[in-house]
Amino acid sequence: MNDITGIVFDIQRGALHDGPGVRTTVFLKGCPLRCAWCHNPESQTFEPETGRSGRIYGRALTVTEVMAVVRRDARFYAASGGGLTISGGEPTAQYDFCSALLAAAHGEGIHTCLDTCGALDWPRLDALCAHVDVFLYDYKATAAGTHRALTGIEPGLPHANLRRLLAAGATVRLRCPLIPDANAAPDHLDAIAALGRDYPAMAIDLMPYHEIGAGKYDDLGRPRPALETRVPAAGETAAWLDTLHSAGAAQAALG
Amino acid sequence: MKTLTELNLEAALAAHDPLARERAITTAYRAHENASPAVRELAVLAVQFPAILEPIEEGDLFAGRIRYPLVSFGPEPGGLGYACRAEAIRYVVAGRGLDQEACAEAEEMIAYWETRATAARTRAAYPPALAAALPSDDWTRESGAGFPLYRMAGTVLDYRKLLQLGLSGLDAEIALRAAGASSAQRDFLDGLRAALGLAAASLRHYAAQARSLAADCGDPSHVAGLSTIAADCDAVSQRAPATFREALQLAWIYALLSGTWNYGRVDDWLGSFLVADLDAGRLDEEQATQLLCGWWRLMKAYDNQFNNRVFIGGRGRVNEAVADRFAMLAMEATRRTRLNQPQLSLRFHADQNPALMARALDVIGEGCTFPILYNDDVNIPAVARAFGVPEDEAVHYTPYGCGEYVLANRSVGTPNGVVNLLKCLELALRDGHDPVARRQAGPRTDDSSFACFEELWRAYAAQLEHLIAALARQEKIAYDVTGREAPFLFLSVLYDDCIARAKPLFAGGVRHLGGTLETYGNINTADALFAIERIVFQERAATLSQLIAALDGDFSGPDGEALRQRLLAVPKYGNDDDAADAMARRVHDHVCILTREQAARVGLDSYLVVVINNSANTLFGHTTAASADGRRHGQPLANANNPAPGADRGGVTAFLNSLVKIDPGLHAGAVQNMKFSRALFTRHRTKLEALLAGYWAAGGAQAMISVVSRDDLESALREPEKWGHLLVRVGGFSVRFIDLPSDIQLEVLGRTLHE
Repeated sequence: MNDITGIVFDIQRGALHDGPGVRTTVFLKGCPLRCAWCHNPESQTFEPETGRSGRIYGRALTVTEVMAVVRRDARFYAASGGGLTISGGEPTAQYDFCSALLAAAHGEGIHTCLDTCGALDWPRLDALCAHVDVFLYDYKATAAGTHRALTGIEPGLPHANLRRLLAAGATVRLRCPLIPDANAAPDHLDAIAALGRDYPAMAIDLMPYHEIGAGKYDDLGRPRPALETRVPAAGETAAWLDTLHSAGAAQAALG
Repeated sequence: MKTLTELNLEAALAAHDPLARERAITTAYRAHENASPAVRELAVLAVQFPAILEPIEEGDLFAGRIRYPLVSFGPEPGGLGYACRAEAIRYVVAGRGLDQEACAEAEEMIAYWETRATAARTRAAYPPALAAALPSDDWTRESGAGFPLYRMAGTVLDYRKLLQLGLSGLDAEIALRAAGASSAQRDFLDGLRAALGLAAASLRHYAAQARSLAADCGDPSHVAGLSTIAADCDAVSQRAPATFREALQLAWIYALLSGTWNYGRVDDWLGSFLVADLDAGRLDEEQATQLLCGWWRLMKAYDNQFNNRVFIGGRGRVNEAVADRFAMLAMEATRRTRLNQPQLSLRFHADQNPALMARALDVIGEGCTFPILYNDDVNIPAVARAFGVPEDEAVHYTPYGCGEYVLANRSVGTPNGVVNLLKCLELALRDGHDPVARRQAGPRTDDSSFACFEELWRAYAAQLEHLIAALARQEKIAYDVTGREAPFLFLSVLYDDCIARAKPLFAGGVRHLGGTLETYGNINTADALFAIERIVFQERAATLSQLIAALDGDFSGPDGEALRQRLLAVPKYGNDDDAADAMARRVHDHVCILTREQAARVGLDSYLVVVINNSANTLFGHTTAASADGRRHGQPLANANNPAPGADRGGVTAFLNSLVKIDPGLHAGAVQNMKFSRALFTRHRTKLEALLAGYWAAGGAQAMISVVSRDDLESALREPEKWGHLLVRVGGFSVRFIDLPSDIQLEVLGRTLHE
């Protein structure tokens, strides 16, 4: 029995877009960031919440309980090269639980992905590497002011940790939310391109902004974030991709 | 979309003498009322054929169209056996403003058939207790837990034998059997031979018609086609077919004459003709594909909804490599014609040429809804267990119609009863009283003050037992009456072991006399029982009488809605929740075993549940009160073994895991609808393949896959004129989405889309 408990706000089985193959994505509640485009406001606070609708966001589960769900799709992981993805919130914010869950999955031979923004001390992140097969690493903004304004934290730690992970030989898939009129600026695209050139084996997913989960903000009684943006037109998305490709980041693709 | 029935009615309305054929058939029957069944049937068939064969139309690549008159003989298309569609006749009389004399004549004809139609004779043969248990036949409109159906559906003939021997070879075989037969046997065997003569005459009729059309036709490209049809029809009226075209022509005409509209393992019986022509250079693949497209179009003209099953692939075909070549072209024909017919279906197994499945996924991914997929590695052992036959017989399993299995040319298994399980639970909660019909509809099983869940279960089981015992008896009576009425000569010629036994199909001829029972609402019943167990008996959050009051009030008022939310929050089947799924399995096992046990009691070789779907889940929904799974009064029932619409929220793998918990070895066919996004078939194809591979490996027996997006469906609702190409799988049939009635459109839209 592994009775370390975490607060989980969702488990999505049959997830097809959270790493290789068919996966089970476990969403851990709580995040030190407050990204202006956040689609999952229920992921931000650490405690379970009850929405105005009566809907409950978050429940305490042990590693054993989560693994009992994860294990059910083992045959689909085997057939597809899939496995477990831990997402959030920022999953490393529930560090002990996250770490134990990764280890438990690996212990059963289940492939793991960790969806992280990398905002934690390097030694703690480094320690997770043993049980993470692929990092889905969020790269949110480049300029310090923009990063602070859009996420609420300084970029130093996440940016440095990304380089450290890559230097340590971890498999990283860079996930780049691109928000028109917010972070989708030339300096940011240049920085992504530079990363792509430096690490040609690293996959880069561009994730153009889509409509926000406004209903969930309302249900939680929280103001919708003040973000002046829009859904990018197809031409705009294609132009970002072009910019990256011509700047030498051939691996960039729409995620 | 017009059904066959509606089209036939239109044809009658438009005819010069609209009831001439009906009168002629009635006269023939009347003149032979006391003759032997074989002689009487022949007399009627001789009036019917070739009279009801419709002319070759421009662009037809083969001869063979049919319109059933409103009085007819056949196993199913025009009704059961000798059938008279009284309401339709009155509609025609009124619609054409026929004079009083014609009107009186029509009424006299209707009155004549009232006691002689095979369906009427079947109902008349019910003992009083059975008639009381099954008071109504009007299942589409009246509220009720179970109804009889009248038909001999799902016969699948031995086309291989037809094509190998030809009409003349079959005649010779029967003549040989007739030597030394008793006089009663001879009467039947002579009938078979005469029926073959009618088949030859029908072919000659089409040959003459094609020649005459060719002579009148100014367009040389049409002349060539018509001349070929004429030559083919002439040839196979005299000898066994020698080419692919001849083989297809003969099989098609024979199918039309016999009243069958499911064709079994077509790649197995037609593949060798195709490959011989391809190898000899008589045809190339493009020409062959076009011929199949032509056949597909004729099938759609025959039945445009529930039938026309064409099987390809699977174990037990004589020459897999040859059959596979046919299979690939068949999939191409389906891709090109993009019709909802035929219901092309692929059987597959672990050792099969993987090109077939790969091609199948391509075609499905384009939104064709076909082929429907059947996993032999699961189905063959399951059929062996369910039917009680060895695997070398089970290998011939052939789904027909909406997905009921028969053993091709070895068994019959017409579904002649429908049961609404959710209505049985509704009755059990109310001591047998139907709150929609407002009458005592089932046995009094309890005063409804159940002290524990098992008492409620027993009441539910008692309602079901009462009904299924009645429907099993009814099924056997339908066979007995039909068997006495007519030998069904065309069917008997090509069904094991009618010739050897010298007995008609439904009178001792068939090797395996099976029956099937369509059950609906299985999953709602399981979800409702599970919710009652949780809320009423475990959590005690509501009493049973509070629950029943809320159901009777359709969850109206704040208390009703609050209880509904509690019921909805209880786990549902389809999410890989072991407890919820265990209840689904319990309901399934119970009704399947209960049904199976009736066979020996009533004298059938098997009597099995089929968990199929046509639009019955929606129609039964109309007459079923609110239920404890949270479903409101009138809403559709979940289709077949699928989760209730929107109830499967646990992800596609959880959905698939739930499906495989239902034992396929207890029934004669169940269908699984799946709705996937197009992106899964394009950008994420390997993931899709992995999902299906996991499902098959875990025991998945069947899948019917619609590829759509929610946007597509919503756009089609708004602008139907632009979405004529959008095919969806409703249940046991595919249809253009825009042709569906709006309530069924919404039901399809409500199903979970996996993307």
